[in-house]
Amino acid sequence: MRISALLALFLTFPALHAGLFSVDDSSDTKVKCVYSGTDGHCVEPILKSQNELVITVTGQGVAPSVTASPAQAYALAKRAAMADGYRQIAERVKGVQVEGQDTIKNMMLQQSSTKTSVEALVRGANITNTSFKEGLCEVEMEIALSYSRILH
Amino acid sequence: MRSRNGNSPFIFTHLALIATLSFGADNYYIGYRFTAKNTQAINEKLSISKAMQPCSKKTELPALVLQRHSNESFESVLGREENQFLEFAAAQELRVKSNESFTAQHMDIQNSLILPTRCYAVEFNNESVTITATK
Repeated sequence: MRISALLALFLTFPALHAGLFSVDDSSDTKVKCVYSGTDGHCVEPILKSQNELVITVTGQGVAPSVTASPAQAYALAKRAAMADGYRQIAERVKGVQVEGQDTIKNMMLQQSSTKTSVEALVRGANITNTSFKEGLCEVEMEIALSYSRILH
Repeated sequence: MRSRNGNSPFIFTHLALIATLSFGADNYYIGYRFTAKNTQAINEKLSISKAMQPCSKKTELPALVLQRHSNESFESVLGREENQFLEFAAAQELRVKSNESFTAQHMDIQNSLILPTRCYAVEFNNESVTITATK
């Protein structure tokens, strides 16, 4: 009985020692909770204070069927592509508002519609590449997000 | 208020000319709106108006230099070099509005780009125009 008690004490002592006197490494690696998600769990911020986040999108635009000249077709297709590119940037940075409506009659789907909308003020987006082929204009755009840009 | 000898308009014109020469730039308000429906341009409007009062220039912002033919008006220069100006202005600040609607039979996408109306300092040279955004 005494031997088993001593053995138990001998085995538990190192475990207690490790728990009481060891340096807690997990506290250093633990991320501070800045934002909490809808489920209450901590969400790690995507944009870190020391990093720059670059978002790249490709906007597409089509030239109208009736134009005065090929140059005008190109210019209008490029504008439309820019609008699409800016929309994508706004969607990715700010988010999209989605509204859905389903109509069900006699247990059968009669009508289904989805509406999405986004509105944002975009600063510092740049066009990096433009291509125009067979009436379709593609514009590559990028925006760099950083704390320094936000604060200015 | 008119002076007795009717020289007021003459004096004011000279004062305006002196002010323009001393500051070296005119001020213009420029705004832009573009709407595309289903990735096709449907409406575009560039509004230019000369400022009645000088705009305050607090911070230095990037400038754009456009080519100008002899005695060409600013509206004409902007009309010719619209693409360049829009890329310059859009890089600073641009508002985007987008509405999309989807049903089983129909899809509708409308994107609008709005350049908020703001004041630009415009400096006219012999063969160029320098446009600087003021804040």
